[in-house]
Amino acid sequence: MNKQQKNQVALNAFGPGAQALFHIVLGLFALACIVPFLFVIIISFTSEDSIRQIGYSFMPLSWSTQAYSYVFQLGDALWRSYFNSFLITVVGTVLSVAICVLYSYPLYRKDFKYRNFFNFLSFFTMIFGGGLVPTFVVCKTLLGLSDNYAALIVPLLFSPFNVIVMRTFFQTTVPRELIEASTIDGAGEYRTLLQIVLPVVKPGIATIALLNALAFWNEWFLSLLYITKNMNVIPLQYLLMRMQRNADFLAKNSAMLGADAAQAARNLPSQSLKMALVVFIVVPIACAYPFFQRYVVAGLTVGSVKG
Amino acid sequence: MKKILSIVLALALLLTAMSFALAEELPTITIMFHGSNVTDDSAVLEAVNAYIADKVGAKLEVVWGTWGDFDDKATNALLSGDTGIDMVFTCSWSADEYNTYAKNGYFVKLDDLIAEYGADLVAAIPESLMQAATIEGAEGMGIYAVNGFKDTATQNTWDVNVTLLNELGYTLDDFKAMSFYDFGELFAKAKELKGDAFYPFLVEPMVLERMVTGSIIVAGDSGSTNLLSLYLNQDDVSAEGPEGNVILNKFATDEYRKFVDKMREYYEAGYVDPSLAVAETSNDTRTNTQKTGEYLIGTQSYAFGYEYSADVLDRGIEVAFVPCTDPYVDTTASQGAMVAISTASEHPVESFKFLALLNSDPTLMTLLNYGVEGIHYNLNADGLVEFTDERANYSPWTNGMGNVTILPDTAAEGAGFRESFKAYYAGAKAIPALGYVFDNAEVANEMAALGTVAAQYALALDAGALDPETTLPDFLAALDAAGMQTYLDAANAQLAAYLG
Repeated sequence: MNKQQKNQVALNAFGPGAQALFHIVLGLFALACIVPFLFVIIISFTSEDSIRQIGYSFMPLSWSTQAYSYVFQLGDALWRSYFNSFLITVVGTVLSVAICVLYSYPLYRKDFKYRNFFNFLSFFTMIFGGGLVPTFVVCKTLLGLSDNYAALIVPLLFSPFNVIVMRTFFQTTVPRELIEASTIDGAGEYRTLLQIVLPVVKPGIATIALLNALAFWNEWFLSLLYITKNMNVIPLQYLLMRMQRNADFLAKNSAMLGADAAQAARNLPSQSLKMALVVFIVVPIACAYPFFQRYVVAGLTVGSVKG
Repeated sequence: MKKILSIVLALALLLTAMSFALAEELPTITIMFHGSNVTDDSAVLEAVNAYIADKVGAKLEVVWGTWGDFDDKATNALLSGDTGIDMVFTCSWSADEYNTYAKNGYFVKLDDLIAEYGADLVAAIPESLMQAATIEGAEGMGIYAVNGFKDTATQNTWDVNVTLLNELGYTLDDFKAMSFYDFGELFAKAKELKGDAFYPFLVEPMVLERMVTGSIIVAGDSGSTNLLSLYLNQDDVSAEGPEGNVILNKFATDEYRKFVDKMREYYEAGYVDPSLAVAETSNDTRTNTQKTGEYLIGTQSYAFGYEYSADVLDRGIEVAFVPCTDPYVDTTASQGAMVAISTASEHPVESFKFLALLNSDPTLMTLLNYGVEGIHYNLNADGLVEFTDERANYSPWTNGMGNVTILPDTAAEGAGFRESFKAYYAGAKAIPALGYVFDNAEVANEMAALGTVAAQYALALDAGALDPETTLPDFLAALDAAGMQTYLDAANAQLAAYLG
């Protein structure tokens, strides 16, 4: 690098003071993201006695793997719900991405006649919902979504927000000339979408897939609503949420329930067990991030500088 | 001729098909319980269904609500008219609150069914509980749920660590002679003996407030933070209280001020664990500390026989429960656990027959509550119930099911326990305003606003974490601004009308 270039770089770069400041700010931000998770891991390895005596702490009085051995003793119930979490997430993500792409692609195509109508149809549901009870009636009574995997997947399959994101992505990254060119070259609609357009919008699909995977992975409310008898289909998140809600309920109603509440509280899992379950829930989805990240970053920079 | 023959044959075929259809399986009735911890009910349901097939004419299915899930699941099922739920737990404190849901037409009026099929039920349940369930519902005055016979009276007690009390040089009788305002010397000595990290006073702040000021929960008042109060006559619970039958803003009384001042003193002296003053940690701290026995005096809303439960026996100390007053029957306690039939149910008659049987037949109640003999429990030489490890997979909430007085005695409780239990609650006296439920519909906005204000101050004040000198006036001003007077007036007008 010759001298002139060096000066240019220096001219464009931030000063050392600003650099340091940015590093510190970003460093603190990263720390704020990672510390709670480390804390959860530490608590999951803390002994119950230590929690009772000094509460949650980064430096517990004594360590213990009791929570994890208890988790493994949960046996079938745990592994089954863990499996369910994966199943629901994978199936749900694949289906919802397919639906999202197939819905938003025509909305991007100017030659689709009813595109305003379908645009409106999806947008409308984003602003006005039917409310909890009517939704429940439609899903359970009309569609039979209860006590099965479908009940945990179908209600989340279509997201108007994702459709808007995806449509915008089509509009900004796929030039209309590309469609014209492929038509001229003799590609039919299927080939145009699958072989010409889809490779261009991969980053967009990755973003949608990540959003959907997160939504399915973290979902517990659908289980609460629709799973009443068949507990074999519930995901791990609901197992954890149920424990948490039991504890909250007993805390709130202890005065009403009296001795019953005190006795019921004995059956609740310990604090460290809850944290151990959180670890179980967070680790797989945290591992999924790096795979998506490549595309998401690519999506952010695509189209920024083009000839 | 051939034609006629074929028609006859076709008809015969049709008739056989129909008769098969008629002889088809029994209808299924489904019941939703609260607060259960059940992972495997197959053995129990098999036995139950064999037992009730002739008696009820239906098959039973159970939705085991857990503590945290029940409210959402029950209200969804009722509001959406779900025909898959025939019977549902209800009471004065759950989200499908008995009086409101009966009034809005979600529960079947049972009076006719009781007259026709309910003779055993009426014989098994005390008259007073039937009365407590008689309310003005969608179809007029009547009974809209089967009221469970359980610990139907309220009694708040001091939970005393007798082991430590004796170490400090006091006897239980010394303690009984003391009042809340004299506890200071006990706490000081305990703190001296056990060191700084020891908190002698392990309370549920809201319950403590009721114990000290003698206030009673008004049914229909704002959920977890009560605003209203009637006052108990502490010498004779069935007589009128010191304030008469008038509902007061509990935070504005002199008694309350005196109570929070004293509590502040105890808190400042380090007698109360600060985490008891925070809603999120209060109950956890209390139950966890109870387990270790690291306290001197606690509060306990008491149920007869609680001292024999594993919960108390495992603490490793001698525990005594010292009552503040006699047990009293108020609306909240007398509507504490009921089961109603949903108006969406397609099998109300079978459902009622089942409920009547459950509440009057010891075999069915034992089966559904304690499980199957030989699997979930065994009978020991004295004929007492001893639970096996399988019980962990099948632990319904006993009191939420109905008439618990027909259950057999367990080994932990001892022979004759259920008889004494029955006598204890049959003898409980009713407060003068029993049956009164505040219908808060007209002041729902005020109630929501007041509830928010109270949630901000009440627990911390009751626990002594806030200084009453400065915060109590703020609190009262905030309550006034949120419409306390309107709320009070509505409650009192209704009470006056109720008492006639």
